[in-house]
Amino acid sequence: MATKAGGTGRFTQDERRRDSDHVSFLKHKGFRWLWIALALSGAAIAGYLMIDQQPRPNGGSWYGYTLGTIGLLLIVWLSLLGVRKRRINPGAWSLKAWTSAHVYLGLSLIVIATLHTGFQVGWNVHTLAYVLMLLVIATGIYGVVAYATLPASLSANRKEMTRAQMLEALTAIDRQLESAAQPLDRAEADLVIAALGQDVFHGGALARLTGRYPGCATAGALKGLGRGSEAEARVVALLEKRRDQLAQIRGQLRIRAALEIWLFVHIPLTIALIAALTAHVISVFFYW
Amino acid sequence: MAFLIRTIDFTAAGREIIRERMVERDTLSVGRAAENDVHLPDLAVEQHHIRIVLRNDGTLAVAALGTLGFGLDGRSVTEGVIDPRTGGEIALGAARLTVAEEDGGTLAVTIRQVAAEEGKGDALRGFALASVLPSKRAMSWIFAGVILLALLMVPVASNLLRTPAKPDPTGRTPGQVVMDAAWSPGALSLRHHSLENNCESCHVTPFVSVQDEACLSCHKDTGTHAKANRLAAGMPPLSAGDALQWRIAESLGKEGPLGCVACHTEHEGPLRQKAGSEAFCGDCHKDLDSRLADTKLADAHDFGKAHPQFRPAYFASFGAASPVRAAPGSRPVEKSGLKFPHDVHMDPRGGAARMAVSLTRYGAPLECKDCHVLTADKAAFKPVEMEDACESCHSLVSGRTAGGGFSKLRHGSVKHLAEDLARIGRGAHAAPVSGRSRPGQFARGGTYAADFGRPVRDFIGLTRALLPGGVCTECHLPTTRAGRPDLMPVNLPDRFLTTGYFTHAAHRKQECTDCHAADTSKAASDLLIPDLKSCRECHLGASAVKTKTIVPSDCAMCHAYHVPAGQWLPEAAPRDPHYRPLSEPDKTTLAAVLARARR
Repeated sequence: MATKAGGTGRFTQDERRRDSDHVSFLKHKGFRWLWIALALSGAAIAGYLMIDQQPRPNGGSWYGYTLGTIGLLLIVWLSLLGVRKRRINPGAWSLKAWTSAHVYLGLSLIVIATLHTGFQVGWNVHTLAYVLMLLVIATGIYGVVAYATLPASLSANRKEMTRAQMLEALTAIDRQLESAAQPLDRAEADLVIAALGQDVFHGGALARLTGRYPGCATAGALKGLGRGSEAEARVVALLEKRRDQLAQIRGQLRIRAALEIWLFVHIPLTIALIAALTAHVISVFFYW
Repeated sequence: MAFLIRTIDFTAAGREIIRERMVERDTLSVGRAAENDVHLPDLAVEQHHIRIVLRNDGTLAVAALGTLGFGLDGRSVTEGVIDPRTGGEIALGAARLTVAEEDGGTLAVTIRQVAAEEGKGDALRGFALASVLPSKRAMSWIFAGVILLALLMVPVASNLLRTPAKPDPTGRTPGQVVMDAAWSPGALSLRHHSLENNCESCHVTPFVSVQDEACLSCHKDTGTHAKANRLAAGMPPLSAGDALQWRIAESLGKEGPLGCVACHTEHEGPLRQKAGSEAFCGDCHKDLDSRLADTKLADAHDFGKAHPQFRPAYFASFGAASPVRAAPGSRPVEKSGLKFPHDVHMDPRGGAARMAVSLTRYGAPLECKDCHVLTADKAAFKPVEMEDACESCHSLVSGRTAGGGFSKLRHGSVKHLAEDLARIGRGAHAAPVSGRSRPGQFARGGTYAADFGRPVRDFIGLTRALLPGGVCTECHLPTTRAGRPDLMPVNLPDRFLTTGYFTHAAHRKQECTDCHAADTSKAASDLLIPDLKSCRECHLGASAVKTKTIVPSDCAMCHAYHVPAGQWLPEAAPRDPHYRPLSEPDKTTLAAVLARARR
């Protein structure tokens, strides 16, 4: 007997799995975790408004402790994504579901932790933990946006070249440059040597993020070389090719940096947040 | 047209061998087969791999002959164009064919073998941002380490290693725990400001909530409102939620709803502790008798609607040791030991008024303030002093002095009166002027000198002064003590309303007689303390609507929790002793609305 639509047949199941493989983690299971996070935040807000906390809402009231406990458990669980994604083993747990929950429950922390503070902030370890958490969430939001938008431009920038090919192309240009530059005199030859000798990945994180390389020797050589002789003209033409190839590589670097930079804040601040949270919880009960 | 084919090889020793040959043709074939113009013995190269064609515009078209492409300037293509003036590089297997125009317009194709590059994968790592940033792991360890050390380990260690200091009510002892300021969730109340840097003065034991003992180490003299067992019995039963909360809290070492910190929360900013609201007092006092059957306190929860009649303290019998409080609703007869008809003194056309007008000190009929002087805080009145208030009219002058002034009887003690009267008897007769004096200690001023006045007059004066019609009994009641004439002691309580606070300063716009019926009081036995009704002309409960004449008055306007007779910290604002009621609670928040609905 034929299986009905949405049935349990092998084919149907496989189709469903293949379809789900192409669904973004944001849309996982019809935004299941978005709705759960919204419900959690809504419940927290409703409780905050409806429970008359005396003398005023505060992290130390029973509702404050409740929100704080929820927030603490959420933060610990969210930070375990780093452990989960490294454990590639079978089981009824989907990394996509986990990531989806990570994003949406992480966002709900903004509501839960803010209500936990009772809007009381100051220069103390408690607010430090809160601010660290907000920074982690902000970088996480950036990360989601970056992952959603940047891979397309990364792909466009590659122009069907692999990274290895980009480097290979540069090497090819360099070999030609080396022989083309033979007729040049000393000063001009030095410019070419500088351009050839400079590491393709020259420049720090800031240069990568902004795409500005003020110390680029290829650009310097192009500026310094004359256009008079035929040899010079050839070298200049090759240097221009080199510059264009570098620009592609640097475009790749810029997009990748934009894609990766948030993790360099997100991860260390998460660990710092867990430390601050530990200090927060212990200090509160140490001086109870 | 011709191509210059230059092959560069290396000997085993590393020496370069360059061979050059000319191919006089416009196209050049490259491949593994021997018949190609350029023969590359490399298995990765096709038999006939590419053809290079010189085109009319001087550029070279390179095309793959099979399906396998080739590398052109680093990228894999199946066809491409090389401008010989700028040159290009074709990659076929391990061979690199560099095409370029050399001097004299010769098209040179230089063939070189490249060693397979190892570690290319490492070069690709340079694309990752991690190659130019410190590792995430290192940053994590550093951040977490600094936070845990500075904000947790240092304060904890210095707390555990300190020698606890004694409690210091002045708050001048500095705290010993290092860097615990970062733990403070907010500024302390104004009164505790000096303890701001001494957390351990209240948080005495780690992981134990602030105990009453810590509060009482400074606040020794704070009243307790009532005994703890009475408070517990008088409280209304907790709601199920509150009971559960307190059960959890008490199991963790909190001291329950009667502990200091249950009301006195801290770290809420540099504020004052707020007075309890009417609802706070009413929680227990609106039906206290239903839980404390033996209480003497009548139920109260709203000054305008439910407040017992005042029970002023007064002396109910002459010479009593202490005042008693009036029974509810009774008309107390005060037995102060004085005669003082207020109406006589206050009648603007009476004898007392005439007398006052004639005296330069008053120059007008008597007013209340001529006798009753406010205390410095303007809350109450100083005791009336006979010398200041009465003596201008009720003179005690007893004669003239030698200097031309007046001598007078001292007020306040029957013994002094006797001495002063005896002196009158002595002062009248003249000193002997014989020119001779008695010898030795019998002389005037000596031990045995006698003053030969008439004792009878002294005795009469003394007796008469204390008898009805005598000078003392104008105001005092005569009595006898141990067979001798004496006066009834004057007994007036320091304070009439002993369990509430009242300040005259706040009522200075009122006439005294608005509240005290002095102008019609014919006897000192009238207790002129106003009753509840007269207060209610202006003061109604906290929920009353404020108008020009109605003052909504919560409990704390007159009663303080810890000191029932004191006002809510009247010394807090010495320039303005007037009580300021709590600001209207915010009734708009959803929580407040729900809380009200529950109530």
